[in-house]
Amino acid sequence: MRILLVEDDPDLSRQLKLALADAGYAVDHAPDGEEAQFLGETEPYDAVILDLGLPKVDGVSVLERWRRGKIATPVLILTARGAWSEKVAGFDAGADDYLTKPFHTEELLARLRALLRRSAGHAAPSLTCGGLRLDPRAARASVNGEPLRLTSLEYRLLHYLMMHQGRVISRTELVEHLYDQDFDRDSNTIEVFVGRVRKKIGPDRIETARGLGYRLVCPPGEEAGQPAAT
Amino acid sequence: MILDGLRGPPSLVRRLVILAAGFSVAALAVTSVVLVLLFQQAAIRRLDQSLGELVDNLLAATTIGDDGVPIGPALTDERALRAYSGRYWEIAEPIKGGGVRAVVRSRSLWDAELKVPREVAAQLSAKPGPPIAFESHGPLGEPVRTLASQAQLPGRAAPVIFLAAEDRTPVDRDVRGFVAATAISFVLLGAGLLTAVVIQVRVGLRPLFDLRREIAEVRRGRAERLSQRYPSELTPLADELNALMAHNQEVVERQRTHVGNLAHALKTPLSVMLTEAAQQSGPLGDIVTRQAEIMRQQVDHHLRRARAAARAQGPGERTPVAEVLDELSRTLERLHHDRGVAIDWDADEELSFQGERQDLLEIAGNAMENACKWCKGRVRVRADAVSPARMRLSIGDDGPGLPPERRAEVVQRGARLDESAPGSGLGLSIVDELARAYGGALTLGDSPLGGLGVEIELPRAET
Repeated sequence: MRILLVEDDPDLSRQLKLALADAGYAVDHAPDGEEAQFLGETEPYDAVILDLGLPKVDGVSVLERWRRGKIATPVLILTARGAWSEKVAGFDAGADDYLTKPFHTEELLARLRALLRRSAGHAAPSLTCGGLRLDPRAARASVNGEPLRLTSLEYRLLHYLMMHQGRVISRTELVEHLYDQDFDRDSNTIEVFVGRVRKKIGPDRIETARGLGYRLVCPPGEEAGQPAAT
Repeated sequence: MILDGLRGPPSLVRRLVILAAGFSVAALAVTSVVLVLLFQQAAIRRLDQSLGELVDNLLAATTIGDDGVPIGPALTDERALRAYSGRYWEIAEPIKGGGVRAVVRSRSLWDAELKVPREVAAQLSAKPGPPIAFESHGPLGEPVRTLASQAQLPGRAAPVIFLAAEDRTPVDRDVRGFVAATAISFVLLGAGLLTAVVIQVRVGLRPLFDLRREIAEVRRGRAERLSQRYPSELTPLADELNALMAHNQEVVERQRTHVGNLAHALKTPLSVMLTEAAQQSGPLGDIVTRQAEIMRQQVDHHLRRARAAARAQGPGERTPVAEVLDELSRTLERLHHDRGVAIDWDADEELSFQGERQDLLEIAGNAMENACKWCKGRVRVRADAVSPARMRLSIGDDGPGLPPERRAEVVQRGARLDESAPGSGLGLSIVDELARAYGGALTLGDSPLGGLGVEIELPRAET
């Protein structure tokens, strides 16, 4: 497993490099944002540990550029800034996990293991529908190449609709597939979720079949209706 | 009423209205008095003129008989023929000891005489001169205007006095009518002027009221700055206010940046110390680890205090709740991805928090993270309005919950009930501290999902 460590503090870098090497990882170190971006774009890493406060280019910008360049390497953000606004910004830029300084090395290693396990999860083909694309492996969805920001229930709803695109799906069926057994099955909340997903993917994509349920519509396009492998 | 209006705090509207009204009323009063006096004088002068003509006619037509007694003209004035018609004449002579005695009189006088006051009689007897006008009473006791003139006629040594009089009642009636008409029209004019003044002041001062309304909008967080076009007198004021608000915003931002920089500067060395100390077995390593933990808590606590102080200066802001809950749900689900936490949130699209976005993120973020830490897989978040000015955030999980007797401890600063779950353990006390800073409150109860239910009351931005 090859890891890229991006951290500007020399002492912390040395400590982390040692700890990661002890844990059996091959570690490359980048002390600033420019070098980090270059390495991340050219070398095939399994994961990146990214400090946000970096000289030259800050961590969030580096991450955004990687994601724009379709580099999907899992990224664990390491930062002194623990405010929720910064966490949200980090995740919206495409981070996979977040650790606030100061931290214990064991916690970092545990999070890194979890991250690697997750990204190595069994491959599933990604689903497409018009400009919509859903990648079940990374639990990510995008519309016309723009990443969609979905909560897990919204994601599950979209996933189910995409698996059964073109078919009318009743509310009861949705409730049964979205929630666990003991969830309070209030079918009104389905409307709320459909409303939110519509807002994010475009209002015309989910049709309401009055009294019957919902249907995902795929406008004819180059990928319409075709499941495609990634 | 006016006295009541003068009391109370000074008011520009009242001052302008009272000044304008006082001036208008005084001007109208003086004008009306002058007009009435002029009208009255003109009426009397016309009366005197007609009496003067009558005296002249008498003088021209009177002859002296052989016995030295004046013989009056047969016909001078048609009205003087009817008894008590209101128009009289008399030819008289002065008598010894003051006064005059009638020699010839108009038919209208019948057997009465025109009354001549003593001092006028004395003046008339003394020497001939211009006609003298005076007020007196007629044969029926009515007020009359009398004109008298003394003349020397050929054939008579003693002077002869010619008197002409006319009833004043019609003239007085005309004057009274004029006074009434003037009064009515001037009262109407005054009321019209007052209305005009009030309207003028209201319209003139409207930009001032607009300015006040817009500042209130800014304070409520519905506007960022004053953007209306104001009259040139108010533009500098609006510009200064905008500059002041921009300056305040800048100060808040600068403090935030400083505070963030301080955090960054301190936390990396703390991380290094913690890592290094963890590798040292023995008392030194333990002490450093413990002290570094305390330092971290202290830094966090004082950073929050600094942020709260910065907030107190900032202008009002409004933060849409649904947006924040959506962002936090996504972030927290990724953070707790391994455990498959699903956050079910719902909030009215229109609902807005009266305060800064960062603070709502901290309040809801910490409370929701606490729920995610303890839940078995489900977290439920609801935000609703409880009144036009208050909103409630309810966060529940399906975890083990918290027995009622331990709930008070959780919100105490530094309490670490949730120590066994990863994280600082300060989550709910931070929420409590922030909610209090916004005049809100945090209460703990049971969630419908079975675990701990956290309810946070917060100020709501008016829609």
